[in-house]
Amino acid sequence: MKKVKILTIILAIVLVTMIAFWGIYVPVQNRMENSIKGYSYTMELNGARTIRLKVDDTNKTIIKDAEGKEVTDAENLTDEELAEKGYTKEEVANNSQESLTEENYKASKKIIEERLKKLNVDNYSVRLDTQAGDIIIEIPENDVTDSIITNIGTTGKFEIVDSETKEVLMDNKDIKLVNVMYGSDSSTGTTAGTTVYLNIEFTKEGTKKLEEISNKYVPQENTESTENTENTTDTENAENKESTEEQTEKTITMNIDDEEIMTTSFDEPIRTGTLQLSIGSSSKDTETLNDYINQANSMAVVLDTGKMPVQYTVDENQYILSEITNTELKIASYIIIAVAIISLIVLVVRYKTNGLIGAFSYVGLASIFLLLIRYANVLLSLEGIFGIVIILILNYLFINKLLSKIKKEKEINKEIISNKAKETYKEFFIKIIPICIAVITFCFISWAPISSFGMVMFWGILLIFVYNFIITNQLLKIKASK
Amino acid sequence: MKKMTNKQKILIAIIALIIIVGTIITITVGLNFDFRLQETKKVQLYIGKDFEIKDIKDITKEVFGNEPVMIQKVEVYEDSVSIITKEITEEQKQNLLNKVNEKYGLEISADTTEIVSIPNMRGRDMIKPYILPFTIATVIILIYMVVRYRKLGIIKTILKVVIISIVSQATLLAVIAIIRIPIGRLTIPMVITVYLLTCIGLTTNFEKQLERKKEEQ
Repeated sequence: MKKVKILTIILAIVLVTMIAFWGIYVPVQNRMENSIKGYSYTMELNGARTIRLKVDDTNKTIIKDAEGKEVTDAENLTDEELAEKGYTKEEVANNSQESLTEENYKASKKIIEERLKKLNVDNYSVRLDTQAGDIIIEIPENDVTDSIITNIGTTGKFEIVDSETKEVLMDNKDIKLVNVMYGSDSSTGTTAGTTVYLNIEFTKEGTKKLEEISNKYVPQENTESTENTENTTDTENAENKESTEEQTEKTITMNIDDEEIMTTSFDEPIRTGTLQLSIGSSSKDTETLNDYINQANSMAVVLDTGKMPVQYTVDENQYILSEITNTELKIASYIIIAVAIISLIVLVVRYKTNGLIGAFSYVGLASIFLLLIRYANVLLSLEGIFGIVIILILNYLFINKLLSKIKKEKEINKEIISNKAKETYKEFFIKIIPICIAVITFCFISWAPISSFGMVMFWGILLIFVYNFIITNQLLKIKASK
Repeated sequence: MKKMTNKQKILIAIIALIIIVGTIITITVGLNFDFRLQETKKVQLYIGKDFEIKDIKDITKEVFGNEPVMIQKVEVYEDSVSIITKEITEEQKQNLLNKVNEKYGLEISADTTEIVSIPNMRGRDMIKPYILPFTIATVIILIYMVVRYRKLGIIKTILKVVIISIVSQATLLAVIAIIRIPIGRLTIPMVITVYLLTCIGLTTNFEKQLERKKEEQ
């Protein structure tokens, strides 16, 4: 019975080991495919999207009227038409010569890093060419990479201008913070859906400006229209009123990166210093709402991190695979396996049958650990791989300690094994409490390489605790039982 | 106060010497950064078919000699290759193209192949994301140790933890500087190893002291 029990456990360990190292192959479309989940890797092992932001050296054409004011609606006019109207064309560099300084390049790099952080990119590298100003960014390749790239290089220029005169009323300097808010509409008693808002909070100065603007840019009540329509019909009256209101209503235009986002006027003065702009319409559909949220988040991050002093264009955007190939990873794992086998042989030589049981148990833990990492969706970085090695070492030390304690005893029975296991647990885990603290802290860090290490170590330590209690302990007890 | 043994004195002297020499080397010569973190040059070639990194490695060895070279496949189809090394001259570029063209039967011209400059990555940018996690972990560990080993003296425990943690990391950095280990992707795992060993070492030491104190009482 004793032998059957031990053999059953050992066979189970062998089975798990085969699954962990070779997998389970099932036929999929006339070919065999491993149905066991693969490892997920971080940027340094999986490859990265590499983006080169080049300092924009192009020019833009500005059309000005006779008074020197910029005209925006004359882009489609021919040169003759422009000349007729007294308009002139000017070529202006997107980046003025004065703005192309090392300080501004560094400031731009800082803003990009800030944007990456706020966009929750868990691993990135940003390099700056201080001479040319070019910035090279490496970010992980995933579903949101393209969306990040579209936002990362934008200038983030925010302006509220008078729709008519184009006078800049507010800009980036007036913004305190920008974030995303949600609200549910319940206009008719029943909830119509959720609306996503871009919430712009202004500085003290900005709040004053906003109040002034909201007082000034209001829908105008037209007194002139009533005077004019005393002797006319109702229809004519309405038409007249409309036309005169169009002429007198003052509106503001909100521009982000010189693109018109909205044109509006204010129904009432805003004294709170915040502007809430609805993004899209109210919706109940999760997918639609997620789209709006992503859109609003990107906008919020770009505005919240401030305006980049230099304008950039995306010059290179490609996915570059890691230089660490699968072959190199395999070589590293073969080395680890070889060292583990030698260590286990030492264990068997030192502790004979108990050593053999310990070795089988060790292999079982390693196999379950490798499966656990895959199914717990732990991202593997170099630090994470290093974590696997540490767990294998820690487990070896644990088993070695337990076996050495048992070896010292002259008579071995179940009770002694239990006592020795308790002692080993106490001594071992007291020593690694600081490591456990560090590991749990690392699990909560958003930087992928360090959280990878934390997660690997967390599952590993948990497994050492649980697995050895259930399997190693049990195997040794069965062997000791008469 | 317990007197130091000769062995301990020698150990402290050696560590102090390592840190001093390491600091001098870091200030005068600087750290040896992995070439991936340095300013490099890159050429990208469109092969248009499957290729082996090993074959490209053989070609680059002939062109660049013993200079370190980083070879990476590009895009999902993996039919382009990016070759990065410290310096690429026009002559080396031409030589590289000739060999690649010959190997894969291509006609990549030097005019369409640009040598792109990749700026260096600052060491502080590499380390920055790790400072906060290690600081938080160390503070929590310090609190735990102060609570658990309060009988050994709170100030003494704090000082011991802080000094030994700093000295151990400083020694590691000094060793890296002295034996010119390149600062790169293996630096953080090395820092983590020393950090974990320090934690285990401190706990083992404090546990022994605590046990001794209990026995004395």
